[in-house]
Amino acid sequence: VKGVEQVAESTAAPGSAGLQACQRPRGSPKRLRHVQSCIALAALALSTPLAQIPPGPDWAAIEDEIMRHFQTVLRLDTSNPPGNEHLAVEYLKQVLDQEGIPAQIFALDPKRPNIVARLKGSGTKRPVLIMAHTDVVTVDAAKWKYPPFSATREGGYVYARGTVDDKDNLTGGLMTMLLLKRQRVPLDRDVIFLAESGEEGNSNFGIQYMVGEHFAQIDAKYCLAEGGGVTRIGGEPRFATVQATEKIPRGIELVATGISGHGSVPLKSNAIVHLAAAVAKVGAWRPDVRFNETSGTYFRRLAAISPPEVATHYRDVLSADPKVRAAADDWLFENEPQHSSMLRTSVSPNIFTGGYRSNVIPSEAKATLDVRMLPDEDPAAFLAQVKQIVNDPAVEVRFGAQNTRPAGVAARVESEPFKAIEAANTRIYNVATLPAMSTFATDMAQLRAKGVQCFGIGPATDLEDGPRGFGMHSDQERLLESELYRFVRFNYDVVVDLARAK
Amino acid sequence: MTFARPAILLISLTSITAFAQAPTQPDWAKLQDETMQHYQAVLRIDTRNPPGNETVLAEYLKRVLDKEGIPAQIVGSDPKRSNVVARLKGNGKKRPLLIMGHSDVVTVDEAKWKFPPFSATRDGGYIYGRGTVDDKDNLTASLMTMLLLKRQNVALDRDVIFLSEAGEEGSSGIGIGYMVKDQFPLIDAEYCLAEGGGVVRIGGEVKYATVQTLEKIPRGIELVARGISGHGSVPLKSNAIVHLAGAVAKVGDWRPEVRFNETTGTYFRKLAAISPPDVARYYRDVLSTDPNVRKAADDWLFENEPRHSSMLRTSVSPNIFTGGYRSNVIPSEAKATLDVRALPDEDPAKFLEQVRRVVNDPAVEVRFTGQNERPAGRDARLDNEVYKALEAAGTRVYNATTLPTMSTGATDMAQLRAKGVQCFGIGSATDFEDPPKGFGAHSDQERILENELHRFVRYNWDIITNIVGAK
Repeated sequence: VKGVEQVAESTAAPGSAGLQACQRPRGSPKRLRHVQSCIALAALALSTPLAQIPPGPDWAAIEDEIMRHFQTVLRLDTSNPPGNEHLAVEYLKQVLDQEGIPAQIFALDPKRPNIVARLKGSGTKRPVLIMAHTDVVTVDAAKWKYPPFSATREGGYVYARGTVDDKDNLTGGLMTMLLLKRQRVPLDRDVIFLAESGEEGNSNFGIQYMVGEHFAQIDAKYCLAEGGGVTRIGGEPRFATVQATEKIPRGIELVATGISGHGSVPLKSNAIVHLAAAVAKVGAWRPDVRFNETSGTYFRRLAAISPPEVATHYRDVLSADPKVRAAADDWLFENEPQHSSMLRTSVSPNIFTGGYRSNVIPSEAKATLDVRMLPDEDPAAFLAQVKQIVNDPAVEVRFGAQNTRPAGVAARVESEPFKAIEAANTRIYNVATLPAMSTFATDMAQLRAKGVQCFGIGPATDLEDGPRGFGMHSDQERLLESELYRFVRFNYDVVVDLARAK
Repeated sequence: MTFARPAILLISLTSITAFAQAPTQPDWAKLQDETMQHYQAVLRIDTRNPPGNETVLAEYLKRVLDKEGIPAQIVGSDPKRSNVVARLKGNGKKRPLLIMGHSDVVTVDEAKWKFPPFSATRDGGYIYGRGTVDDKDNLTASLMTMLLLKRQNVALDRDVIFLSEAGEEGSSGIGIGYMVKDQFPLIDAEYCLAEGGGVVRIGGEVKYATVQTLEKIPRGIELVARGISGHGSVPLKSNAIVHLAGAVAKVGDWRPEVRFNETTGTYFRKLAAISPPDVARYYRDVLSTDPNVRKAADDWLFENEPRHSSMLRTSVSPNIFTGGYRSNVIPSEAKATLDVRALPDEDPAKFLEQVRRVVNDPAVEVRFTGQNERPAGRDARLDNEVYKALEAAGTRVYNATTLPTMSTGATDMAQLRAKGVQCFGIGSATDFEDPPKGFGAHSDQERILENELHRFVRYNWDIITNIVGAK
């Protein structure tokens, strides 16, 4: 596709390759954007002198080792609930010990421990924390083509629950630790590895416990975790995102109550029917579009690097004209749902339960809405809006008891980690980096609330995979093998850039 | 509300059945404790189906019958789900009468019950429990009638067969299905009496009795929505829950066309004749050929008398909706079950097509559940001795006129009617206002008035002695 070439041109690697790119003859139709990116690249090249990068490992030689660790952790069933993250922690401890990296286990519940390992630096700078969670969401095993904990390799992909959430980051973090030690990279700052439990809904066992009870073990200036990634379109990397802020999850429950009775006599008060109407209305509703600094920057930058037919939607959705904005919004919802969720507090009805026997009208039915609030959303005002949409006195609308996350400060674009990530993205993926607000919650929320600057990264995945049912939490969660290897390299590069002695 | 007409009807009814033929009445006041003791005992046996466990109840009934000197037999295809049959021999002049009550009850959502569902708690003149009006009232009355026929030495022109069958609530294969297929000689009869009718009280006053002569055919329909699964933080247009909710909301809002048959036409005409004018007008209007007049009456009935609304049409009630297993995962599938009660002449394939048109969403599959179906049988006649005995007992015991009805619920009579047995559904008196207030059959507060239980036993006795007593 034309657009792909344009992106590739405008985001050439820094250093000599980047400078060559800047010397392309004028007259290119993309000259303006080209010039802009050259300025940016020159700045990057200055901030990261190539001479100081220590020799990297032999990447081809360690692919087997990467795949072995990845498949092993995928095959440990840590679906949460119940979690059983001790399975993963025992394995990680054994691997780290074998490499001579001391690792320590901290647990609120012995079956749900966390593991911390540290590579000491000179202490010139404050530590960097690299983390990943060990648990995964549950599975509906019958729906899986390949068993969800088989880590089956097929057609260049690895299929399993956790392949992109979050055993990719777990493997990336683990490999980085092993390689830093093996390559004897001198460090200006400690590198702390944390594999935490309970990220998928029980962070009280994981990050909350670590921050609350053992913060000294993980206290750092910066942290790297899940939440970003490289987006491929049509099989080509197009841009990278770094998660700088995140939406706040708030579950909302709808409870319809009616009169119970025999199913042979339909009743107007049927709780299932009332709830279905409420869910249909809420499901058809898309709350107002609202931008913040991160998401505004994201869509502007995305428009700048995208082919014109797509860029127009990213620009239009920023428009002040409500009609223009609505058309772009509709297009995004249909074609790029992840972007649609970045525009607003999103609502997804994910559970509906009512009735227990086909000939009995139940007296109650309940639905759970997965609500992801913009960081500045007013929860009470939003709940009132949902009530207005539902508009049925037979349906109660209330917040669920599900745990939420604290609001924290967005990570800065003008920072060492962002620049290191930008440089690595350019070198390894040859793409530009966009700051992003993730639509889902991560364990970074608790660290940001403690003042740690956190950046979310991740491997390259296909933009088309999400809507086609191959995304995280889906029944066919998968990762390209080649992208797993590339991500490990990226991970290592970023950490070396941030932590090595300069 | 005032009822002017029943008095006129009363006179004509009493002339049909001479009082002189009735056998000696038992001492009803004295029998109340015994009735209550059996009723509470059977209510306290947990026969919720599934799993049923009706054998526990069958053994209780056998003990009681045996003790009275009535030989009872336990039969069944599943040892945990037995049926009980007992027979009082007559002189054989006429073919037998079968009286039946099913021993299983529907399941319960225990948390919703004020009184535990198998406690048979007596409170404020009521007994609360699963099965109080479906069907342990009929079971107790039939049992009491057997005991009393024996105790009073009533001379019989025909055998009286008592059957308490398992599995009526959704697994009739082990109950009436088994009895009809494998043990039919044990229950073969000219007539049968079972659940399905009743006496209607409005404002605490008995207004009329109904006898079920026809029933709707249950036909479950499933709606299955399929979409793309994914993380709940990214709403998807294909969300299976949202599509299914849209479909269920549409189906729930839809009321199929009104259509009458002979039974329902007679029912509404008779009902209009005995009802106060402010209500009668709806019963008449719903029979109107003017669509606007009919529609207004139909709306009023749906809101105020849902049972009558269901008698007008093939009814649809979405009763189960299941989808999703975790709040942050969009499931790839969601399923709803519609309880459909078809008019006896409904064409199933065409009806399914209609539901598809109402749903109108390619993401939602619409199909029959394949859940057990009842055979279609002939309606019982209104001009024979049983119907006349029912009319006479309605007048004597309740001072009420009797209306033939098509029941909206399925009963085990379907299988017997398919074998040529003339079946009539009867039942105890309940308040018309109870079901919409949540006190009906299958509800979370199922109940019966104590005095209506006792009256129903008398009514039963009256009908049966009239049909079987030697003349």
